[in-house]
This record gives sequence, structure tokens and C-alpha cells, in this order.
Amino acid sequence: MAPDFGVFVSLFVDTLDYWWIIIPATLLGIVVGAIPGFSAANTIIILLPLTLSMEPATGMIFMVALYTASRLGAGIPAILVNIPGTAGAAATPLDGYPMAVSGRGQQALAISFTASVAAGLITTVAALLLIPWLSQVAYHLHSVEMIVVMLFGISLIATISAADTIKGLIAGFFGLMIGYIGADVVYEAPRGTFGFLELYDKVPLIPALVGLFAISEAFVVIERNTILSEQGAIKQQHAGWGPTFEGIRDTFVHWKEVIWTSLLGLVIGVIPGAGAAIASFVAYQQSRILSKTPELYGTGHIPGLVAPESANNGVTSGTLIPLLIIGVPGGATAAIMAVVLEYHGVAFGPDLFDSQPMIAYGSFTAMLITYVLLGLMILPLTRYFSRVMVVPTVYMAPILIAFTLVGSFVPRAYVFDMGVAIVFGVIGYIARRTGYHVAAILIGVILGPLLENYFLRALRISEGDLTVLFSSALGNTLWVLLLLSLLAPGLKRYLGRLKSGNTNATE
Amino acid sequence: MQQDPQQEARNILPDCIIPALALGFTIYYLTTITEVPWISQASAIVVSGLLSMAIVAFIIRSVWRIHRHRETLRLQGSLQAMLGYVPTSSRRIGLLALAVAYVWFIESLGFTLTTLIFVFAAIVLLSSLANWRNAAVISISSSVIGYIVFLYFFKTRFPTGPIEDWLKSVL
Repeated sequence: MAPDFGVFVSLFVDTLDYWWIIIPATLLGIVVGAIPGFSAANTIIILLPLTLSMEPATGMIFMVALYTASRLGAGIPAILVNIPGTAGAAATPLDGYPMAVSGRGQQALAISFTASVAAGLITTVAALLLIPWLSQVAYHLHSVEMIVVMLFGISLIATISAADTIKGLIAGFFGLMIGYIGADVVYEAPRGTFGFLELYDKVPLIPALVGLFAISEAFVVIERNTILSEQGAIKQQHAGWGPTFEGIRDTFVHWKEVIWTSLLGLVIGVIPGAGAAIASFVAYQQSRILSKTPELYGTGHIPGLVAPESANNGVTSGTLIPLLIIGVPGGATAAIMAVVLEYHGVAFGPDLFDSQPMIAYGSFTAMLITYVLLGLMILPLTRYFSRVMVVPTVYMAPILIAFTLVGSFVPRAYVFDMGVAIVFGVIGYIARRTGYHVAAILIGVILGPLLENYFLRALRISEGDLTVLFSSALGNTLWVLLLLSLLAPGLKRYLGRLKSGNTNATE
Repeated sequence: MQQDPQQEARNILPDCIIPALALGFTIYYLTTITEVPWISQASAIVVSGLLSMAIVAFIIRSVWRIHRHRETLRLQGSLQAMLGYVPTSSRRIGLLALAVAYVWFIESLGFTLTTLIFVFAAIVLLSSLANWRNAAVISISSSVIGYIVFLYFFKTRFPTGPIEDWLKSVL
């Protein structure tokens, strides 16, 4: 299945002929990624009449380019106004926004774009080379293993609440409880829905994200003239192209971080249903644990921005693998791609790589070209994007509220969801004013239902036997790794103290 | 560590809102799962147990700190701590009321008109009536750009009303 070099080069050149569809899809992807509620999946659905009328390869390349660019676009509002464009960018503001507030928004954008492009290129090449092996990953990761993967992400709650662990845990567990609203996947019993039919299908994610980040942020910032701090405003005024180059350089300084977090994203992307949100949370958490300066995370620390952005772009190519090899989409966008390809009578499976290489390999080469184009198109724009932050909050806040509220209407077309966004906005505002981390609540809301789904499936298969959680070798290995990652920070501190104690004693 | 006598004890009443909300919601949630199979209850029971333990830890810590005069629990000043002082507090409440009204009316008036009114009213509320010209320009341009980009070009599923219906028949 892995292509030889000649075939790959020839496919790459052939894909370049599709520049006329890749460029508009890329621009559109950046825009829809940057607006909460306008995910790539929604946009592809809206444009179905267009994609269905195209040749299968053209349609696939269009969808792949749009999807790829939207992943990168989601980081823009996450950094500049603390509003992740999609759930996959939910970990980006943790360090991106503090950088922006301190006047380093342009640099943060450059880091985000460079890390995204580098991660996208690395993982797309890796995906092309490792397709036969990566396609097996999904077979080995069942409900039990996925429970542990989810717990890796959820353990981030404890990390980001380092300033006040008790408050962080309350926020995180509150988020998990909110995530359990709705009918369960096995018995479909409605739970905690307040009698609203609209909540039977779980708490809608985009309104929760809009409320916790955008609405609450808008209520907070109105007491300031701009989002920027005083020093940040001065810095922003004098910014030229320097911060962009600085951002590019900073990313390459952290090249190891880019590589391993993007590959982590690739592996998580291969698992159907896991997605970019879990990848970015897990990457952020693991990056912090392995860091020599974990205390700097959450304060505008560069690796804290590099890790989630690399991971969520690593997911992009991973999502395509189970779709093309076994016909199982790795996420919502891949599911829509499957619908379009099935409409054209495309049969998924290993044979696809021989029978229709322009669709199978072409999806990856289109992704490579999109990432190169993204790098060329978007990096020069960092200077202008960052100007958003000097817009006075009296104008910014009303526009943010209006457009993000209506953005939360888009996925399901329920006005109810706009109300949900306001409720989450009030909760988010209270949380911000009283020192509870809104990201901890959001992690619970995003990962809670996923964790429960896998947990219920595991218990259903084992007929209620809890020992199933420790029944597989891979699962047990992951449990040990989880335990080690939880104990590592304390252990590192202890060893550090021991070391400094010994040094003092020697002196 | 003893409290610095010069330093005023911090009022933690606002800090209790999130734990109170969380606890209230958890109790409500648990009442809704009494009839479902235990497998469907399991996750929520584990998490609600952990949440309760965290809240108990929060209460114990608060009692300890109040006892040490590092924190206090009083109604006075709590509202200001949450909403800020006048005029910021009244602006926040006004903005929330406008946001609720925006959601309330958008289904009947549609995106374009509701956005225009909301953005205009919110800018005037946050600055002053003297700023009405800027408010008018920004509200009209944002709703018109929103219409052109999202409704006209992208055919996005936004709530529509009389203006969108009229424009649809004209364009």
C-alpha cells in the first residue's frame, strides 16, 4: 500500500493541477475554521450540491483542502480573543491567549501557524509511509484502551488547575457532570435534561464552547478599553514584522515538541471517534509533564501553544486513514467525505490505492499542497490579524456576542442552542470572576460523554464486569503509563528537592 | 502561617457560587437516574462522588481559612466583586439583558434586523448615546456584511425574518 517514490512524485505533480480548487477551499477553510459554529463538516454539508457535482477526485481534494485549512483557522480566534473556533482548538488559548494579552499576539499566531504547517507536513508524509501499520491501530484500540486515552486528556484538569487544585477539580467534575446530560448510548435513558428534548442528544458542544469562552470573555473585557494589557498595547503599537519571524524561529527551536505531539495527533486521529480535541488536550498535558518548566504553562509559554496546535493538525491526516482503508470515518468531516465518495460509487479498502490512486494517495498529496499554501498565505497575515486586538471592546464585545451566538445556532438550527450558549456564558463569567478555570469545565463537557460512551460499551460487552478495564495487555500498559504521567510531576519535584538538598549539603 | 494583620480577609462568598451550582445540579441529576439501569448510572455516580469530595475539601479549607481570618464570608460587597462597580455592573447586566433579548427575538425578526438592533443598542450601552453615529455605522455594516457573507454566499442556516424574506424576493 505504501507508494514508491516515483509514484508519489507523479501524484504530487498531478495534484498540483488542482490548484484552482485547492486555493478557494483553503481560503474558505481558514474563514470557517475561525468562526465558532462553522466547522469544516457544516460547510461541506452546505456545499454538498457543489461537491457532489464534481468528479470524485476533485470533490475529495476540495473537501480535504477545506478541512485542513479549517483546522489551522480555528487557532486564530483562540489566540486573539480566547475563543476556539472548534473544539479541536480548545487547548490553544491556554497559552496562546496570555501571549496575545501581553502584546505577543502576532508572535503567537506565527507560532501557531508554523507549528500547524510543520505538523501537518510531517504527519501527512508519515501517514503516507505508514498507512499499512496505522490502519491497524484502530483494531487494537477498543473501549477499554480508549477509556485510558480519555483519562489522559481528563487528567489535564488537574494540570491547569495547579494554581488552586480544589477549585480546578470542582470545575472539571462539574464539567463532566454537565457532559453526562442526555440519553446514554446503551439504554437511551434520558438523564438530567431538565425536560428539554433538545438535550436528549447531549449538551451541544459549540454552544458550550461559545458560552464558556466567547460570551463570558465579552462580559469580562468590557471593563477594559481593549483586550490587550497596558504593556501589551504599547508592544502591539510598535510591532513590525519582527514578531512573525520570532514566532517562526521559536517554533523551530521547539522542533522536537512539534514532531512528537504531531505524531501523537496522527495516532489519535486514526482512532475513529477520538478527534482533535482529545489529541490537543493529551498533547498539552504530556508536554507539560515532560517539560523542565511546567510551572510556566498557562502563562503564555511557547511549548504550551506548540503542543496542542501540532497535535490537532496531526489528527487531520490520521482521520483519513480508517476512512480510506476500512471505510470507517475517523470524525464528522471524514463521515461526510465518505457520503460524497459513496455517492460516486467509490469502494473503500486497500484496493482503492491501486484502482483510484488520485483519490487515495491524492487526498494526502492535496493535504501536503494545502499545508504549503497555508504557510505561504497565512504567515504574512499574522501582522494584520493581530490588529484585531486593538479594536476597542465597546465595539468588539457586541459583535463577538452577536456572531458567536448565531454561530451556536448553525450546527443544529435550534434557537434553544443560543439560549444554552447564554447559560454557559453566565456560568463561564462566574467561573472567571471567582477563579475557576473555564477550560477545566470545557474539558469535562467535551470528554465526559466520550469517556462514558466507551465505559458503557466496555461494561455492556463484559456484562457489567468491572475487571474488563484491566483485561488487555495494551490497556494495562496504558494504565501504567497514565499512572506514571500522573505521578511524574510530584516525582520530578521530589527528585529536584533531593538533588538541591545534596548540592547544598556538598557546598 | 499567620495572617498579616494589615491584609484584609478575602470575601469568598462569590467563590461558593460554582460549588453551589455544581452541587445543586448533581443532586438534580442523581434524582433523574434512579430508574435507569445501573450501568447508565455508574459514571455519574463515580463523578458525583468525586465532585462531592472536592466540594467537601473546599468547605473544610474555607472554614480553616475563615478561622485563621484569611478569608471571610459576607454578603456585603459580594455583588460588586462579581459584577464590578457602577457603571460597569449596570453595563454588564444591560448587556446580558440585550443578549437574552437577541435570542428571544431572532426567530421572529431574523438575523439581519436583530443583529443590527442588538449591536447598535449594545455599543450605545457600553459607550454612550453620544457615540450613536459610530454605533449606527458598525451595526449596519456588521449586519449587512453578515447577511452578504453568510446568508447570500454561504447559504448558512441562520434564523430568517422579514428582511431576509424581502431580500430573497428582490435579489
